[in-house]
Formats: sequence, structure tokens, C-alpha cells
Amino acid sequence: MGILRDKRTASSSSPTSTSPCADLRTAYHNCFNRWYAEKFVKGQWQKEECVVEWEKYRECLSQHLEDKQLSRFLKAEASGIPSDDQVNRKSSFDGASMGGAK
Amino acid sequence: MVKAYKQEHIYKHPWERVTSASWRKFADPENKRTLSHILEVDTLNRKLEPESGKLYTTRAITIHAPGPWFVHKIVGQDTCHCVESTVVDAQSRSMQLTTRNVSLQKFVDVEEKIRYDPHPDNPSAWTLCRQETSIRIRPLSALASMAEKVEQRCVDKFLQNSVKGREVMERMLD
Repeated sequence: MGILRDKRTASSSSPTSTSPCADLRTAYHNCFNRWYAEKFVKGQWQKEECVVEWEKYRECLSQHLEDKQLSRFLKAEASGIPSDDQVNRKSSFDGASMGGAK
Repeated sequence: MVKAYKQEHIYKHPWERVTSASWRKFADPENKRTLSHILEVDTLNRKLEPESGKLYTTRAITIHAPGPWFVHKIVGQDTCHCVESTVVDAQSRSMQLTTRNVSLQKFVDVEEKIRYDPHPDNPSAWTLCRQETSIRIRPLSALASMAEKVEQRCVDKFLQNSVKGREVMERMLD
């Protein structure tokens, strides 16, 4: 049981460990949560905020996110609720979207 | 083999507060112990429509799913990645989340939909949460009877975790 919690075991079995981005992630999420609660839900949704935090965090993710299924979503436009075929991954689709990565 | 279930919950807090808490649910350090199955949450994408007040967000959720040894043996991993897509409409005050697994799809499809709306009886102070979960185990003829067990485990696990999620939300809101 304890062995599963071992750091080395965890990182080797989890290919998507984005922990190098943990600080940038916290900075972005804190900024986002504040903006959401204090502005967005109160009618001030016209201006996008936390842009700098988002760009730094996203840049880090694009370097460290190794999971192909997840990096697909990093590249795609956020488009709300995914349709079935967006989620049903096919290996050919993965190959196409990851093309060029060497 | 599909299992589906619905749940409803009334939060006696306004929609703005409940949906703010929903964003912080997995990240707040004091929730980490209760929601120990959540390993990481990353935002993969976001889009704001400034004219309509709609916010689209895609997050990756990594879940630790310990199971019986035979599940490990078959699946070969004990973490599962889910993708959560959220649409918040600030103008009409609605939040919709859809979460699906992107790993282990050979074995199981889980889809969870959650909606937060102002409660019709008290729209400025209460929030109605409606949740629908469906779990489908891929038919693997050789593993059919085992799949039944895994499916039941998934259902149990999801029910347990959604109760935990609700407890965490209530604690944050108080």
C-alpha cells in the first residue's frame, strides 16, 4: 500500500505528472478563482483577466504534458461540452494531431 | 451493460457562491485529505465570450483508483485521466460540467454531468445541483463476469466520491 505512495513509483507510473508546473498552476488557479468569484459572476465578464498567469502556466504544460490524449485538449479550442467523436479517441486521430512532434 | 443514476442536491447558498466553490473543490488544501483520490487538476484550455458572458473551460483530472489486484493486472495502471468540460453562462446563471474518462477507454466509459442552477423556489439564495452519471463497461466476452464486478465497484466508488464531493462543497460554503 505504502509503495504506491512512493514518489519515484508514482512519477514513473504516471506519465502526465505536471508537477514542474505546480507553482504556475497555483498562481493561475488563484487568480482565476478570484476573478470568477469577484468579477465574472457579478456581471463584469467583459474583460479576460489572469492572462499573464495563464500564458506562463500553459507554456509550462505544453512542455511537460506528455499524455497524448490530454495534450490534444491543450491544443484544441475550448469548445464546451465535448461531442462523442471528440472524446472517442482513435489511434489515427492521435497520430494526426500529434504529427510533427519529434 | 450500462449503469446510470441521478442525484439531486439543494445547496442553501446562492448560485454565485456555489459555483465559485465548485472551481476550488479539488484545489483547496483542506479538501485534499477527503478527496485523496484526486491527484492533479490542470486547466488545459479556457475561452471567454465577452459579449455573451459565457466561459468555457477544459480541465484534466487525474484520479488515483486503487482496485483489487486483478484490476491492476488487467489495466496495468492505477491512475485514470478524466477531462472535464465546463460551460458557465453568467447571464442566465447556469453552470454545466461534463466529465469523461480519456484513459482506460478500452475497459470503461464513465460520463458524469453536473448542472448548477438557481433553485426555482428561491433563485437568489438557493442552488439546485443535478447530477447524472453513466458507466459503461466495454463488453469483453472473456471477462464478462469480472466486468460485472468491476462495474459495481465503479458505481460504488462514484457514489462514495460524489458524497465526499458534496460534503466538501458544504464545508467550503459554511
